[in-house]
Amino acid sequence: MPVLRYALAALALGGGTVVFAAELPSSMIRDEASLTQRQLPDAQLRLGDGSVVRLSSLWREKPLLVTLFYRHCAGTCMPSLLLTREAVVSAGGLGRDYRVLGLSFDDSDTPSDMRAQAEAMGVAHDPSWLFAVGRKQDVQHIADALGYWYRRDSSTGQYDHPTLLVAVNQGRVVRALLGYPISRERFRELVLELRGSFVPYYQLPGQAFLRCFGFDPRSGAMRPDWGLLLLVAPGIIAIIVAIALFARPARPRET
Amino acid sequence: MRQNGANVLWWWIAVVALLFPILIVLGIYMRMVQSGELTGLQSWFYPVMTLHGLGMVGLWFTAPMACMSDALQRYVKPSGAVAWFALGGTVLGVVLLLVCVFLGRFAAGWYFLYPLPLMGGWPKWSTVLFLIALTVLGVTWLIWCLDLLRAIAQRYSLSHALAWHYLVGRTEPEVPPLVLIATVSLIAAVACLVAAVIVVVLFSADAFGGIKSDSLLMKNVTFFFGHVIVNLSMYVGASVTYEVLPSFAGRPWKTNRIVALSWNAVLIIVFFAYFHHLYMDFAQPETVQYIGQIASYVSSIPAAVVTIFGALMLIYRSSMRWNLASILFFLGLAGWAIGGVGAVIDSTITVNAVFHNTLWVPAHFHTYMLMGLALMTLGYFYHYCQAAAAQPENRASLWLVVSLMLIGGYGFLLMFYLAGAYSVPRRYAIYPAEVSQGAGYAGAAAVFAAAFLLGFILYLVHTWKRWARALSVSS
Repeated sequence: MPVLRYALAALALGGGTVVFAAELPSSMIRDEASLTQRQLPDAQLRLGDGSVVRLSSLWREKPLLVTLFYRHCAGTCMPSLLLTREAVVSAGGLGRDYRVLGLSFDDSDTPSDMRAQAEAMGVAHDPSWLFAVGRKQDVQHIADALGYWYRRDSSTGQYDHPTLLVAVNQGRVVRALLGYPISRERFRELVLELRGSFVPYYQLPGQAFLRCFGFDPRSGAMRPDWGLLLLVAPGIIAIIVAIALFARPARPRET
Repeated sequence: MRQNGANVLWWWIAVVALLFPILIVLGIYMRMVQSGELTGLQSWFYPVMTLHGLGMVGLWFTAPMACMSDALQRYVKPSGAVAWFALGGTVLGVVLLLVCVFLGRFAAGWYFLYPLPLMGGWPKWSTVLFLIALTVLGVTWLIWCLDLLRAIAQRYSLSHALAWHYLVGRTEPEVPPLVLIATVSLIAAVACLVAAVIVVVLFSADAFGGIKSDSLLMKNVTFFFGHVIVNLSMYVGASVTYEVLPSFAGRPWKTNRIVALSWNAVLIIVFFAYFHHLYMDFAQPETVQYIGQIASYVSSIPAAVVTIFGALMLIYRSSMRWNLASILFFLGLAGWAIGGVGAVIDSTITVNAVFHNTLWVPAHFHTYMLMGLALMTLGYFYHYCQAAAAQPENRASLWLVVSLMLIGGYGFLLMFYLAGAYSVPRRYAIYPAEVSQGAGYAGAAAVFAAAFLLGFILYLVHTWKRWARALSVSS
């Protein structure tokens, strides 16, 4: 369970409310990429206010930022949700461009647990935050579609599970973020894509020490990076070499 | 003035006589595989594609360089020792490439785009050997270029070598176009070989230190090297055309303000046109893509248009003496023009979106390499041998050579163009049912290429007679 180990290590190191860039293993990036374009199955959900909705009706109205959690988690669920709340405020566009859906995978959770979760996070009166429960097999189908797993530890009553945020537009995953905590930059990229912007360039932490260009998720624009110097260097070196070679005074050719 | 490494050109002629037919045969093999023949040898397609591409690019960089180095001896004194070193280093690099392809089955293509060389199914030693071969070739050619620049610098100041005084209306001291184009090409060569060094260092950092590089950065640097070296090979070929063609036309072809302005513009533009190789890379900012298109359009005017227009003016109503050399020079310029038009079409972003991965791309670069640069270089070789041997020329057999090379060459290219227009993809060893018409074009191309090869062998017979005669006279 490298994801869990990663999450626990991150908690031990950083924790709190700081969202920081972390070193991502390439396997996790591959796992995230494998989720892109997956279709979510439709399901009937019960929200914290007791109303019943179809998941498809939610994504038809607005793109969704979906995360799976359970109410009585003593691990990463609550910190992860709080970080998400902080990150959406920072990234902007919540409510206008998208909504957040927290879906419980614990079949013992009830709509009142969902209401309690919203109140605990201070978003009970924010219509952009939705918490829901569903039928056990429906939630399992959704989890399977996202490659998400959870396992109950009978000795503690807690679930072992990874942390996942997926951006869903018209029922299709446009981007996923695995692990906890998430970096602010990666979250901004996720939100940009959720809002329909094209992100042309993902920076893969730890994958390259020099890049030509970087993507600034704050402005949504490409910016030059240090690697560009390697593209300029050959021309500059050639000019310096030419000047150096020709520096000596020219002399007339002997006949 | 020809005592400094003059004999080395004889050996370069021998190297081309040996390698060019082999590389053509490898090309014919690929077209035959694509036509559905040679099914038992299909697994060699990509190693052979790698060797054919790298070999041809290397051969047609070094052979015109050897010609230019020889021609420059009329004006400056390149080092004889460095000329021999360049020949030895190139042969060593080629041997290493042969080993890594034929024994190691290295098959990353001539672009060897990161990280493919490190991730292919071939053994790691063949990738390491490939990097060593690149290093040997890069260092050898860099030293060669620096020596030629040094030789020019001994006689000319930089402003004179670049003919800046012509820009302000002065014509003294007189600077031959050969010296101007050589200076421009050699400075560009230093830049592109430094880029090659950067590519090798970054590959090595990953291969030996596990330090990953950004794929987009690697592609940019690799194409900076690859595009510039191919372009300046053309310029080097053009430089000897400026030098030799006037002797057939009986008129001088001198540097003037337009020629000076054109080739100085080339020195700047050549570094930016390579962006057109990255149109498909959506992560490259749009601004850079537009720079690529503009630079590609603009770069064709100074070098190609001015040179070709100048050549036509030189020949028009002159008492032109046509022999195999002058015909090959003339046809080489025509091939450069035709291939250049194909290149400009392909460098248009909206067209490239359709043509990029089709056989249109090998069509245009084979046009200016095979029917442009190769013919100019073969023209110089023949001219060099004929000048030394002074043997009578049989016009009928010369026209047979030219006809076979023309029909074979352009027939071969036409198959690429037609297949490209029908969206037949490039780099496919076997064509799927959707583009099965590619097999027919490939089969016809193999026949035409064989006709070109026959023409080249007849050319070799003519040149060999003069080569042997000149050697016996000189000894």
